[in-house]
Parts: sequence; C-alpha cells; structure tokens
Amino acid sequence: MKKKVLSVLLAGIMAFAMAACGSSGSGSSASSDSSGSDSSSSSSGDTIVIGSITPNTGGFATAGLACVNGMDLAVEEINAAGGINGKQVEMKHMDDQMDSTECLNAFNSLVADGVSCIVGSLASSNTSAITDAANEEETVLITPASTADSITTEDDYVFRACYADSFQGAIAAAYAKQQGYTDVGVVYCAADTYSKGLYDSFKTACEKYGINIAAEESVATMDVQDYTNQFTSMVNAGVEFVYAPFYYDSVGPYVIPQARAAGYTGIIMGEDGYDGTQGYVAEGTDLSVYNNVLWTNHFDPSGTEGKVPAFTKAYQDKFGEDPISYAALGYDCIYMLKQAMEKAGSEEASAVRDALADTSEVYDCVTGKFSLDETGTPVKGAVIIEFYADGDKISTKLKDTVDELPDS
Amino acid sequence: MTTFIQTLIVGLRLGSMYALVALGYTMVYGIIRLLNFAHGDFIMVGGYAIIFSVPAVKAMGLPIWVAVFPAIIVCALVGMGTELVAYRPVRKNGTAMSALITAIAMSLFLENLAQAIPAIGPNPKVATQIFPSSGIKIGKVTLDSSTILTIIIGLAVMLGLYFFIQKTKIGRAMRCVSEDKEAATLMGINVNRTILITFGIGSGLAAVASLMYISAYPKVFTTLGVMLGLKAFVAAVLGGIGIIPGAMLGGIVIGLVESFTMSYISSSLSDAFVFLILIVVLLIKPAGLLGKNVGEKV
Repeated sequence: MKKKVLSVLLAGIMAFAMAACGSSGSGSSASSDSSGSDSSSSSSGDTIVIGSITPNTGGFATAGLACVNGMDLAVEEINAAGGINGKQVEMKHMDDQMDSTECLNAFNSLVADGVSCIVGSLASSNTSAITDAANEEETVLITPASTADSITTEDDYVFRACYADSFQGAIAAAYAKQQGYTDVGVVYCAADTYSKGLYDSFKTACEKYGINIAAEESVATMDVQDYTNQFTSMVNAGVEFVYAPFYYDSVGPYVIPQARAAGYTGIIMGEDGYDGTQGYVAEGTDLSVYNNVLWTNHFDPSGTEGKVPAFTKAYQDKFGEDPISYAALGYDCIYMLKQAMEKAGSEEASAVRDALADTSEVYDCVTGKFSLDETGTPVKGAVIIEFYADGDKISTKLKDTVDELPDS
Repeated sequence: MTTFIQTLIVGLRLGSMYALVALGYTMVYGIIRLLNFAHGDFIMVGGYAIIFSVPAVKAMGLPIWVAVFPAIIVCALVGMGTELVAYRPVRKNGTAMSALITAIAMSLFLENLAQAIPAIGPNPKVATQIFPSSGIKIGKVTLDSSTILTIIIGLAVMLGLYFFIQKTKIGRAMRCVSEDKEAATLMGINVNRTILITFGIGSGLAAVASLMYISAYPKVFTTLGVMLGLKAFVAAVLGGIGIIPGAMLGGIVIGLVESFTMSYISSSLSDAFVFLILIVVLLIKPAGLLGKNVGEKV
C-alpha cells in the first residue's frame, strides 16, 4: 500500500512539474491581430504581406509590443509614400509568448499563409527554434534583436538588424578597460543562451584586454528572484565593476535593488535586455540605487544624428511614449526588407534573400548606417546608456558611443 | 563571516516564505488528505488582490500592508470556490487519484484564467514597496524588516493554527474529519462545512504569504505560484506533511539549503540541492523530519 501511495505521489509530482513547465506557454494560442488580411499568398495582387513574430504576451511583452509598434510605424510611412515596388504593405503579427514552441507554431502558420518574408523573433532562444525552418522553407527571416552569435550563418535565409553578442559582450569589457578597471566580476545565468553567450564574449574580451575576472557567479535560471548571495560574493571579491547580463523584468525589481542592499556600490553593467527596466521598478523604492547602472544599447532615443530624431518624434506622436530599442530595431527591419525588395525588384523570398546577402549594400537606419557581413549581421557600433534617478522616475542618458572595438 | 551572515539572512528570507506557503499546504492535507496543488496559485491570486487594493488603501490613508485584508477575503473566497466547484464533486465520486489530478488541473486553470482577465493579463506587474526598507544591521549586512516580519508572522500563524486546531470546536471537528469522515458524520459533524472552513483558512493564509512574498520580491506574474508552490510542497513533505510545526521547520530548512548551496557550493545548483535533500530525507525518514512512522491502515 505504501508503495502505491508513493508511486501515486511521484506521478503527481512529475505531472505537476511537467504541467508547470508547460504552463507559461499553454495560454491562449497564438493569434493574429492583423486587421482584415486574408490568408492568400503574400505577394499576389496589390499588397505585400510581411509576417512578424514577437513576444506580445508574457514577461517580455513590453519589448514585443514596442517592436510591433516600430514595424507598424514603418509600414504606415512606407504605405503613405507609395509602398514597396508600387504595392501596399500589410503586416501579419503573430505572438510567440516568449516560448520556442509557440514561436515555431507561429512561423509555420505564417508560412502556410504564403508569407515569404518574416520579421522575428526577439529572444535568441526563440529565434533559434525557427532558423532551420526558415532555411528549409526558403523564407526570409530577419530578426530585430536576437543577438546570439549562432543565429545567423553564411549562405542562409536568416539576417538580423542588431549586432551579435560577441560584439556586445566585448563592448562592456572594452568600456571596463577604458575606465581603468583591472578586476571585474560577472553574475550571469549559465542555463540561458543569451546570458551565457554574453558572458562568454565578455570573458573572451577580458582576456584580450588583460582584465582579470576576480569573481563570477551564476544563477540557476532566469526566473530566480534572489541575487543577494551572488552580489555579496562580488563585494567580498572587492570588485567595482560587475557585468550582469539579465533581462529588464528581473533587473528592475530584483537584481539592482538587491545588489545595492548587499552592499555593492560599484558599476553594474548590462546589455540591451536592460531596456525597459524603467517600467519595472517597485513604487517606493529608493531610486538612487539605480545610479551607476550602465548598459549597451542599439541606439539612443534622444540622439540627434541620422534618422534618430525623426524616428523618435514620429514614434512619440503616434504612441505617446519614448521608443525603446526594440521599436527602433523593428522599424529598421521593415526598412531593410523594403530596400532589399526594391533592389531585387521582387518580393520572392529567394530574390529578397540574394539582395540582403549583398554585403556591399548600405542600409541607412535608425540604429546606425551599416552593411551586413557574410553571415547577415550588421557591422555597426553601439551606444552605452546610463540610468539615473530623475525625481520620481528613472531616466536614461548617453554615456558613450562605441563605433568599433579597440584592439587591445 | 559577512558571507555567512548574509547567506543565513537570504536563507531565512526564502525559508520563511516557503514556510508560510507550506503551512497552507499542510493544513489542507492534514484535514482531508488532499495535496492541493492549486495552493501555490492562491499566492498569485493574493498577490494580484494586494496590487489592486493598494490604491484604495492608500486613498484611505492607511498603511499599505492593510491591503492584505481584502486579499485574505479574495483568497478565501477563491479557495472555498475551488472546493465547492471542483474538489467536492470529485471527492464524492472519484478516488484519491482523481482528486490529485483535479488539483493539478485547478492550478493550471487558475494560472490561465488570470492571464485571460484583461486587468491582469500575461505581463508581470511590479508591486509597491510594502514595508520601508529598514532593518537591523549585523556587521556589514542588513537583516531587513520584511524578513524579520515574515518569520514572526510565520511563527504566529503556526502557533495560531496549532491552538485553533487543538482548542476550538471547529478545530476539533477538523481533527475528527481528518481521522474518519464517516465516523465524524455519525457524530453529528458537518463534514462538508468543516472542509470548506479548512479551505477558507488555508487560502486566507495564502494571502498573508503573498503579502510577505511581494514585500521581499516585488514582482507578481501569473506563474508566480508554480516554483514557490513546488518548493513549499517539498518543505511540507520534508517537515512531515500534515504536521503544522513540520511545515515551518521544512520551509526554513529548504530556504537555508538553497541559500547555502548558492554561496558555498554552486550558485547554479541550488534548486538541484533542494530536491536532492528531499529525496535523501524521504529515504532515511519517509514520514518527514517531524513525522511519526505509523503504518498505513488498509
């Protein structure tokens, strides 16, 4: 009898654990919120249908929805100016709920509808679930924000509008070097593609620049809610510069306040995933803890060069808020597709792919003026943004612009 | 030494949270032998109830923690509703297994229902800071007030529950029901009503746990209860499920194990160790730390 009870119990625990794992993805199924698009072929008739896959619900929805806004803004502008190759553009937005399986479902559903060009997804862990499918189905996939190095390879259908992690992590190291830090610390998540990828590139760059990583700590998952012990260990190691690649939804409420509570007063350096932290601060927190937090980003919304001011203004006018980098990247993806389609004179996937694969083509975008390298990754610089307590909210300011990495 | 104290404090902070949640688990299990897997999700319900009542509480000029009272009512209602709608009909016709599966289904249902409610939605919400960030300084580290309060509240709840179950009339009825439902009915105890009250109290406790949770970790999301509930369940089993002081002890032990693993062994292995400890304890002492090894009556 006892065995029976135990086996029932174990079965229960297992079922519970499995159910728990699946729960975040088992909500409402991916839905298309494009208005009145029929499910016919993408480039037939007078409209071009561009698909998009972003996390519009779930913990990363701030980023996903901003990206959708950016794309919609670009499409609106393009349509007002006469469309692409004389055809109007229509978006078909899909939600991947920050889940790889849902991402693949969304992709398959777009392909089934005959869409030949897709923008998406944001998180590298999700995009990596659809890159193979994109090559198999010969569908152009251009990701706004998946920075993992492994996303794009040569001779494939996958491109991106952002820099890769091997560059992003290295910028942080270069900045530490430039500011004269010889001993640094790292807190990251060894179980997450993105966090681990950034850690790797940061570490490699530190070796190159002769910076000593005096302390490194990992957390079990990206959902961990307590980072105090990790930062205590940073304090004990005496470092004044800690690289902490996490996402804004844990950076805002957990990482930064707990790091300060653990007695860590030095610089916390992050990556583009910090964009959005401003909206994840517990009301009543002493905002001064967010001082001394820097992060690498794709663009500075208050910048005055290139296309930035026009974009920021158009975005503010349309949506009533400042654009975050995901909005700018989504916007850029659409314009990159436009340029490629116009160059190819066609909307066929293979023609668009060939146009994007041309490394001499220069794209003049919000996040910089760049061309793509052989793998389809932009060759462009980054900006370093700083948070500061600004009355009752957190604001950002430009700290530094990095166009290319120093050699040593 | 600083590391040790800091680790201890983090362990207590996590542990007191697990303990509070485990108390609710163990209470329901102790009375009706049902593993209420939806208990973790009652914490989530409580978290949202607090977030939504904070503006009203503020407008009335009361301290923010008063928001826990509406949350207790909401949680108790949700808990009793769950019992009435799902558990009671299943218990009437089904087996222990079907009740367990119903509990799991209820847990997923609550998570997805919360996502579907427009005011909640799938995006995490950040709570207001509930207690001022002050505390006792020990050397270089601070034992913050919310941790101290969580432990005190945990102990108070434990004692309160103990006396409630031992000394009051309803408590006596609960104990009768837990021993033998049929005999309790013959003795004139309204079994269904007693179980309903048990759910009300257990779920109300979940609201207290959510208050303490969001005062330490101010982010509420629909799957908040999943890992928290699982660890609290482990804590309850570790301490001896159905035994009220056991839940408290189990919770603190789990929290300390997690924290010390993080600091001294490997920061990415903390969860693995928590579950390893569970297996080891169950092998050595199958009834849990405080459990008495009595043969199952068949």
